[in-house]
Amino acid sequence: MTQPIRQPRVSELSPEIFDGIREGYVPGRQLRIAPGLRLHREFSTDLDPITYEVIRHNLWNINEEHGATIQRISGSPVAIYAFDLNPTILTEDGEFVFFGPYMQYMSGVADTQVKWILEYRSDNPGIRDGDMFIANDPWVGAAHQMDVMLICPVFWQGELFCWVTNCLHQHDIGGITPGSFCPAARNVYDEGLVLPPIRIVEGNEIRRDIEELYLRASREPNIVALDLRAQIAGNSMARDRILALIRRYGPATIKGVMQRILANGERAFLEKMRRLPDGEWRERTYVECCRPGDRKVYPVYLTLRKQGDHLTFENEGTAPQDGAMNATYSGWRGSLIIAINQILCWDQYFAVGGALRHISFDPTPGTFTCARHPASVSTAPVQAMEISLYPTYNLLAKMVYADPELRKDIMCIGGTSQFPTVFFQGLDQRGRQYGMGLIDPLGGAIGAFSCADGISTGGQSRTPISRMPNIEHTEQLYPMLILSRREIPDSGGAGKFRGGMSAEVAFIPHNTGEIIHNTVSSGSAVPTSVGLMGGYAGMTNVITFAKDTQVLQRFTEGLLAEGPAEIGGELAAVALRQEMFRQGPGDVFTVAWSAGAGFGDPLDRAPERVAADVRAHTVTQEAAAGIYGVVIDAGTGTADHEATQALRRELRLQRLQGAAAPAGVLEGARIQDVTEKLQLRAAPDGAHYCCSDCRTDLGSVAGDYKQACHVTDLPLSAANPLIGDPRRFVDADPVFRTFVCPGCGTMIDTEMCLSDDPPIRDIRLLV
Amino acid sequence: MASYLVGIDIGGTFTDCVVICERGQVVTAKAPSTPGDYSRGVLDAITAAGRQLGHTLPEICRATRLLSHATTIGTNAVIEKRGARVGIITTKGHNDVIHIMRGSRGLSGRDLNQVVHFPESSKPDPLVPKDLIEGISERIDCFGNVVVPLNEEEARAAVRRLLERGVEAIAVSFLWSFKAPAHEQRMKAILAEMAPDVFVSCSSDLAPRWGEYERTTAAVLNAYMGPLTSGYLRHLERQFRQLGYQPPLQIAQCGGGTVSIDRAAQAPLLTLDSGPVAGVTGSRFLGELIGYRNVITTDMGGTSFDVGLIIDGESASSSISSINQYDYFMPKVDISVIGSGGGSLVDVDVRHGLMRVGPKSAGAVPGPICYGKGGTQVTVTDAALVLGYIDPATFAGSPQGLDREQAEAGIRAIATSLGMTVEQCAAGIVKIAEFQMADLIRKVTVQRGLDPRDYVVFAFGGAGPLHAGVFAFEAGAKKALVPQRKMASTWCAFGAAAADILHVYERVDIMTEPFDLARINRNLAALLAQAQARIADDGETGAEIRYTFSIDLRHQGQINEVAVVLPGAALMEEHLPALKRDFYERYTQLYGAGTTYSKAVLEAVTCRLRVVMATPKPALVAASTMTDVVPQAAVLGARPVYWESVGHRTDTPVFAAELLVAGNTIEGPAVLEAVDTTIVVHPGRTARVDAFGNVEISLSQGS
Repeated sequence: MTQPIRQPRVSELSPEIFDGIREGYVPGRQLRIAPGLRLHREFSTDLDPITYEVIRHNLWNINEEHGATIQRISGSPVAIYAFDLNPTILTEDGEFVFFGPYMQYMSGVADTQVKWILEYRSDNPGIRDGDMFIANDPWVGAAHQMDVMLICPVFWQGELFCWVTNCLHQHDIGGITPGSFCPAARNVYDEGLVLPPIRIVEGNEIRRDIEELYLRASREPNIVALDLRAQIAGNSMARDRILALIRRYGPATIKGVMQRILANGERAFLEKMRRLPDGEWRERTYVECCRPGDRKVYPVYLTLRKQGDHLTFENEGTAPQDGAMNATYSGWRGSLIIAINQILCWDQYFAVGGALRHISFDPTPGTFTCARHPASVSTAPVQAMEISLYPTYNLLAKMVYADPELRKDIMCIGGTSQFPTVFFQGLDQRGRQYGMGLIDPLGGAIGAFSCADGISTGGQSRTPISRMPNIEHTEQLYPMLILSRREIPDSGGAGKFRGGMSAEVAFIPHNTGEIIHNTVSSGSAVPTSVGLMGGYAGMTNVITFAKDTQVLQRFTEGLLAEGPAEIGGELAAVALRQEMFRQGPGDVFTVAWSAGAGFGDPLDRAPERVAADVRAHTVTQEAAAGIYGVVIDAGTGTADHEATQALRRELRLQRLQGAAAPAGVLEGARIQDVTEKLQLRAAPDGAHYCCSDCRTDLGSVAGDYKQACHVTDLPLSAANPLIGDPRRFVDADPVFRTFVCPGCGTMIDTEMCLSDDPPIRDIRLLV
Repeated sequence: MASYLVGIDIGGTFTDCVVICERGQVVTAKAPSTPGDYSRGVLDAITAAGRQLGHTLPEICRATRLLSHATTIGTNAVIEKRGARVGIITTKGHNDVIHIMRGSRGLSGRDLNQVVHFPESSKPDPLVPKDLIEGISERIDCFGNVVVPLNEEEARAAVRRLLERGVEAIAVSFLWSFKAPAHEQRMKAILAEMAPDVFVSCSSDLAPRWGEYERTTAAVLNAYMGPLTSGYLRHLERQFRQLGYQPPLQIAQCGGGTVSIDRAAQAPLLTLDSGPVAGVTGSRFLGELIGYRNVITTDMGGTSFDVGLIIDGESASSSISSINQYDYFMPKVDISVIGSGGGSLVDVDVRHGLMRVGPKSAGAVPGPICYGKGGTQVTVTDAALVLGYIDPATFAGSPQGLDREQAEAGIRAIATSLGMTVEQCAAGIVKIAEFQMADLIRKVTVQRGLDPRDYVVFAFGGAGPLHAGVFAFEAGAKKALVPQRKMASTWCAFGAAAADILHVYERVDIMTEPFDLARINRNLAALLAQAQARIADDGETGAEIRYTFSIDLRHQGQINEVAVVLPGAALMEEHLPALKRDFYERYTQLYGAGTTYSKAVLEAVTCRLRVVMATPKPALVAASTMTDVVPQAAVLGARPVYWESVGHRTDTPVFAAELLVAGNTIEGPAVLEAVDTTIVVHPGRTARVDAFGNVEISLSQGS
């Protein structure tokens, strides 16, 4: 691997260039707002707890009703099944008060939209009572172009009091691919309409000319028009209810509650920061294939630095922008905010604004997770943003592990950590044209926790309340017969606590001649559900295509087919970005999505839990022995403890083959727990890392503990038996790299990396 | 001898009984519920009610014209995981439907805080382990065409394996069975032959709707509750027969009416939530009688606050419901719940000066501090006691009296830490709870496109009348009503007695315009045939029967469905313009102006038949005279009560609610003590006793 020349970060460049034109918009410390716009700043600080709680509950309900209003009026499957929408309430200067529980990607971008409007629209055309702005420009603030925001200022007696906004995924806003999700786009000009914030509602009336400009780009103008009305109604409802609250309690009280929500969130965040050590944590993952025919692997880096009560996130080292796999600054930042909210601020009810006062986002422009205009970004949510979000959970986990209370909030990377996107099209069973993406991978899986197993098919953490369609919903709409949809044993990452299982769906065309597919899949060669603190990775995405199978023949014999043995046929390769792939009547297409990652060394998993997993068909007998080292008594189905002990001893010895002799054992006092198997203890020359189990010295805290570990590169399948040969898709050579305590053979850390990449220094404590 | 109507509601703690005489006299009684054999509690409660009328148990049974019974036995079995060992037979390849749960964690009704905090939001335990789920070869497609016939060999082998593993009940659910039930029916026949003693439930019999997860869950829940509930019902029926009760026993169901014991024993899922639903049914009956067709029903007990709706004389219902995070199909009266009751716990974050109320509850044990049963954390009831709303000596929930001092000590600790007085703090606790209830009412109404100002709030449950004076008006309603003074905590039992017999039949057949009327009419005819067969089986041929046919329509490509009532048992070409007009009108009403567009193609989704058979009704008799003279006996004196709007304790008159007479008007502040609740009349509110003995609370003139 050639090291790219180091590019400057946002903080090292002149702030003026981040205006949302070429570079993504990054608001400065001071917003430049036209003096003619009066902001309502007054707020009371002496609220009694009852008034506070009553109004807080009310504001929360207003935001929830806002989301419900959009769902009710829109009536679209996107809004109602996939919950691909989100409402927010922000202060007059664009700090989050509340955002909604729906699609989380949409929330982290609302504040940048509002701040941009304040800076670039307050003088011309101005921001007035009764206005609403439409916007979907990813360089200002949007995950991708289909996420159209409607932003509404709320005025009280001539002063800008606060903002209500919403975002709703649109069926189609133009571009070279129906649905506006364009995996083969060369750049943004191949994609849908891009709107920087434009005043589409003036004096509570829709500007017809602007609406027509907006609708003209769409293949589905009727549906988009109805959705716009839903968005307007949502904002109007939220605005009117906030005004009613102001009339009842007074503007200073309502603003006081908003400020206190922020202040409480901030204080809670700061209290957590004070309980945690300073340090720097790094994570490296990879995505694959940025355009059809591409066989490259692209590194993704994420760095989290904690200094006192301030956090900084960077992406230095991430591959340059390329092809159709990019996200903008706001997409990257919004992804990180999801994990920050869920791990550090979950107790603040979606009020992340206070914490954000102490968090810097400092990526390197020109990388594919912080792409410049005119990069293609329409596929951002399924690739660049997933890979921005999920590793954040691991970094935060390593930061909070030091505190026994906060440790309970740890969550490993979940399933569908790269969304295996399959678009299908053709003529449906009623002879009409159709085109639709397979949304079953929303079923995902939740990764392991530090004290419990993950949740099998528990959804994707980025959209915590969505559901996948029933089989009967899909078959009603599209010409397919779904042969099976089932959870995959062994898919969940192994660990002391196991990641949730993912699932697979297999189908044939039915009542149609063929189905034509376009795929976008990363996370198929190099696992993206990387294990945590000695835990193993979950299964990768797997798309299989079996040609000319026995399925239809079996039907005539009165038999359904399930699983490769019964299906038969010839396995054909499906490329990661496969264009216009034809599936005929007897061809079986199967999509399995990645599973949740595991936490901690699998050899530490309680044998009874493994036995229960085997009985529940979550783990196979082979994996129980091979990965968990647990021997199951065939008669009773329970764990044979003696045999298990012996087997685990042997597996630890195997891990230590070729290991250098361990250094001594630390006898000094424990300073802190660093990870599940890594401690800091006092040594004569200052703090040293050691193994938590056997106290083997792993070197000074100033160095990298990994250098003292026994490092072995294993095939990926050693981590999870369901991970196939990566060379089917990429030219690189990914490996499962294990870092084992040289003293006792316990698993301290694991990596999924390219064989020629050096180990990443994941922890740097500032003691 | 008089002839009675008897309503029963078995709850978790108490079994309630209401007996209504022909002349309108009402007697209520409670007995502890008796898990193990719930019928003992039922008979105890009837015995206690009979005693008040001077009758023995057999005398009451012989003199009863209609006995109607609501129960939470099924609900408890699911929540306490005491159901049967169930096996599932399903389409091969789709065994994991109830494990996958549509890739969600089943979040319905859960606190949103838990939604993002994943460590707290796992799936519920699966009702059936994978080992007891058998997939067999059979397949039907979306048109109802058979792709693969039912493979009887595999079917029989699956049954044998399940029986070997000791299942007590079997749920059958195949893909698309709601469209073409033949495979499930054949499977049922095979089961009847191979396993005649095993309880069987078929998804297409029970919940013939589109969506295999929710339909399978319905079949599984039904099987899970089946042996227990049907066993209980048969046992109860036998006992009543022996005691001389002759008419068919009626079982309250979640759709808002009752069904025969045969039907309930086959489909015990119908009884899930039948208690709270009976409260709505009772409200509907009373509303009809006194002229309120738009009612918000609120039932507040110790742990929860349940809200139902009556819109233009009909109980609002939906086809999907959930229990314990499992979503299932069943036409059911909608009940929205939050964890806000008398036992809701107060949580204080002293450092940040924050106070929250609920959703955790002290339950019946240990209960509020003032119960003296070991509770140490302040609850809403403790606050109501300290404010003076409740009389510690006569509080119905705790016969041995309440400990006001302990409650006050608990609240004082919080008040001091927050820099408030005890009274301010207690008033604040109550206010936070009341505003949460108001928010739920808002949500239930406004989010459906309904305006709470068009509604009257009925407040029942032991704790509802204490707080209705605030939550009803905060939600925007114009009036609150406490039905029938002495039935606040037994209202659901009354509702069971007031229910009509109700059967709902549905058939999902999705089609787009232009509609195939012949197909629709075939569906309607099939529903009618099904209904008539059931009526004949139940021997209810003599009753007055009302058939209502309806069809659910929507815009193609959208989800929102609106039920439109058909003019009769058949749909003709000439009905279509009016049908579409109804759809657009109703859609706009529910979803807002500008939300329909007439160019859109319509889809028909579900044909439905509701069959209502009238039963004898409670004869509530109106008073012949109205007077504003309060009987001397009703005046109980005064006690100091803290009113937030006044800012200090004032000596507040106390009345005996049962002794007030029709026409009496009481200006707030006042407290009306009833048998099993307390009606709080806040300053600025007026309470008035109507001709039927209900207490109406409204805003006073000028306030």
